[in-house]
Amino acid sequence: MSTQEENKDYIKPLNEARTLAFTQPKMFPQVLRMILGILRNDNKEIQEWCIKFLRESFVNNDKLGHADKVDLAIDSLDSLIYLSNIKDMKTFQYVIDISSVIYKLVFQYVAENDGCNQVWSKLTELKNSLVNKFQSNFPLPPSDNVEHDMLRNIHTKVELLKFIIIVIDYQSQTTVVNASGDSTPPPSTFSLNKVSPDHSLIKYSNMEYESKSLLDLVLKIFSYDILIPPLLSAILNHSIIIMKRKPQYANKILSIIEGYDTNIKLQSNYQTVEQFKLAKKYVDRSLKVFIQHITRHALVPPQFQNSLSKKLNLLVDRGIEIRKKNIFAIDEPSIKKRKFEGFLNPSKKLKTIDYKNLYSLTDVDDESNNFDITTVPQNILVNMVVNALNKVSVGRLSKALEIISDRYVDAVESYPGIVGGPSTVPITVKKEVKKEGDEEDDDEEDGNFDVDTIYTLPPPAELSFQEKKDHINIIIKNFFNLAKNPNFVNVEDKDEVKASEEQDVNVSKELTKIAIKSWKKDSWIVILTRLASRGMRSLEGIEYKTSPDEKNAEAISDMVRNAIFDYFLENIHGRIDLIIEWLNEEWYSEKVFNEAIALKREQEAAESKGGPVDTAHPNLGDTPVYNKWAGKVLDAMIPFLEPNDRKIFIRLMSDLPYLNEDLVGRIKSLCFDPVRSKIGFLALQFLIMYRPPVKQACVNVLKELGESDQEDLRDEANKLYEKYK
Amino acid sequence: MKDSLKICTVCASNNNRSMEAHKQLKDAGYNVNSFGTGSAVRLPGPSIDKPNVYEFGTPYEDIYNDLISQSCRKMYESNGLIHMLDRNRKVKSAPEKWQNNAYAGKFDLVITCEERCFDSVLDDLMYRMYTKEDADDVRQIVHVINVDIKDDNENALIGGKGILKLVNMIHEFRVKKSEYEDESEVILEDQMMNILANWQKDHTHLPTLYGVSYY
Repeated sequence: MSTQEENKDYIKPLNEARTLAFTQPKMFPQVLRMILGILRNDNKEIQEWCIKFLRESFVNNDKLGHADKVDLAIDSLDSLIYLSNIKDMKTFQYVIDISSVIYKLVFQYVAENDGCNQVWSKLTELKNSLVNKFQSNFPLPPSDNVEHDMLRNIHTKVELLKFIIIVIDYQSQTTVVNASGDSTPPPSTFSLNKVSPDHSLIKYSNMEYESKSLLDLVLKIFSYDILIPPLLSAILNHSIIIMKRKPQYANKILSIIEGYDTNIKLQSNYQTVEQFKLAKKYVDRSLKVFIQHITRHALVPPQFQNSLSKKLNLLVDRGIEIRKKNIFAIDEPSIKKRKFEGFLNPSKKLKTIDYKNLYSLTDVDDESNNFDITTVPQNILVNMVVNALNKVSVGRLSKALEIISDRYVDAVESYPGIVGGPSTVPITVKKEVKKEGDEEDDDEEDGNFDVDTIYTLPPPAELSFQEKKDHINIIIKNFFNLAKNPNFVNVEDKDEVKASEEQDVNVSKELTKIAIKSWKKDSWIVILTRLASRGMRSLEGIEYKTSPDEKNAEAISDMVRNAIFDYFLENIHGRIDLIIEWLNEEWYSEKVFNEAIALKREQEAAESKGGPVDTAHPNLGDTPVYNKWAGKVLDAMIPFLEPNDRKIFIRLMSDLPYLNEDLVGRIKSLCFDPVRSKIGFLALQFLIMYRPPVKQACVNVLKELGESDQEDLRDEANKLYEKYK
Repeated sequence: MKDSLKICTVCASNNNRSMEAHKQLKDAGYNVNSFGTGSAVRLPGPSIDKPNVYEFGTPYEDIYNDLISQSCRKMYESNGLIHMLDRNRKVKSAPEKWQNNAYAGKFDLVITCEERCFDSVLDDLMYRMYTKEDADDVRQIVHVINVDIKDDNENALIGGKGILKLVNMIHEFRVKKSEYEDESEVILEDQMMNILANWQKDHTHLPTLYGVSYY
């Protein structure tokens, strides 16, 4: 079903509801509230229908009683506030009309029902939403400069004027001037006079002040240095209400008219001389009709009578003079043009797809556009550009860039195949590569381009070993800078926290866990240790540890290990956890790796039908790298242990993944030191009790110490040896 | 005509200039009315100081019959008065007074044929602005244009043609701009000065006035 048909389906019941409302007025409120409910609709046609219905309901509708109308007006405030921000000419015009009626109804309601703060604040919001748009070009977007905007969207300004005058009229006190005969406004006309002076929401002083400000806003058009006849005449013709009912504002209007002279106004850059000449004549005539009216109806305060009478004579003479002539043939050397602040070519659409049209802000037909700027020497060009950038205002430059960016966006949308940018076609690898080529060759002719050629990225230039080492060094340094950064942001891994809370984490789950799911304070050590251990090893590339590649990889690994080791030495007491984590990873990966190699060998051996077993690499399940570094750690640590470092040392000895006789033997030096021998013996005892695999090694150490020439040491060692042997 | 503005033409007596323009616009399919701003309908009489005066609302038919019954019928035939009334009675029944035209509703475009009439229309609209107050009603924008036409047969015809051309331009400018970048290009209020200036260039003998009012 097409959208239009779908819409018909929606609109049909709406039309039926409308008929119901107008034929059975009792149903009207119900129907109107239903319409308010569906008014915020993405479907433009439905929304338009609703707005139209709303206008019908409030403007000139005798089917609705006053009380119902007031209730419905209050209920419509939210919808109108919403609609008043929809950028559509027709919608906005309707909103102004509906609001003009609703404003009067609700203002009177609030006046009579003090304390309805919510209704009042909504009404105020609606009012502000409308009057604030008088100076903008809403619902049109602004153009490239202020002058152009003065002459754009006059329609909405003239429409808004109706609403603003109503607000001024309601929010100020009325004193009808020359209130006699049939020129008196009907007594039903509402104004501030009818509001109780001690009303808690409608405060006289605030209301009068706002009315005055609104009038100033309207009269500001007279201070423009250009002429906008439709708007100026509309203001004059509408101001007559104020002249009749608001003598407190008469001075404001008349002093502006008194001093207004079309002869000192400037021709707009968006007006021809002919238009300007007509504009002067038209505005003069509107002024003449206005002054004649207020004079004849005795609306002129005494202090203005003289000056306005002179003004009127002047305008009448001008009119007679100009009537006799062909207005365009009159020579007027005094006409001055307003300073141009816009761009001669402010179009936001790209008519021809080329760079010239993309960037050109000068007149399209300007001859200078054809000047080949590449003929200018570069140094002069640079000077010109720098000078230009120095002189241009930031606002103007950004406006210019905005226009160009709009053109580019427009071109990308209008010509998706031609102009680069996000393509709507699903990207394949081939396309991606092709695009790369496109960007590279932007300035070249497109004719050479072969659609079928598949471009590939050039392989990266190979780094020398030294370069690799340098880069690794940089990486390592960066990691440690990161580790030392005090402003560290901790991203919690919720899963992990949850898991540890649950306590029932089984081992296999631990092993399959991903090392880093979110970046935490210690994540760097995981990455770094893995770089050292697993990162440099590869099962395929390294057949034997003697190959040059493997040697290089080991050298790089050792760089990382040294860095971690040095980092540890900087603070032995505080970084024991880090060392335990590193050595665990070192041992685990080495073990797994060597076992994998052993497995591979066995398979190969099996395939070559019991060929000679390679004996050059015995005990591949051993962990020489781990052993070496664990030994280094112990050697480095033991001399610095303090007597009260018992806990961390035992922690280390218990948490190291693997100990052999050699490693355990390093405790001996600790026992020789009388001050710290306690730590040594305690560690040995601990290992004997809790790490059975190294019990024998420990006992051997005790036995060896029992043969020492130090008496204290010998006694202690023998005592323990006897106990555990 | 589809999407015609609601138009009216206005002269002093609603007989010659406004009626010629009324006929031409009506023939072109526009939604048009016509009115006079004078205090009464004044037509040439046997001499300058003896005009034929009728009240607004007197049918053209009656005026026609009155004139052909007068002794100087020949003079009315030769100066075109009879022909004018014959035309008028085929367009509408009677001359109407602007000041009392509330029954006809509101117009989008009022075209007057004399500066005096232009002033009267604007003056009257101002008066209506503060004497009529209908809380349920909203004001409507009205464009008032004067095309100054000499009050004789020949000029009424020329003026009528000019008015038709102008009304056509006011209706057609949007069509010509089917492709536009700035919506301002299709807003009548934004383009009115442009339209008037272009029209005026070709009609320098028909001076114009223009203003926007409400009612």
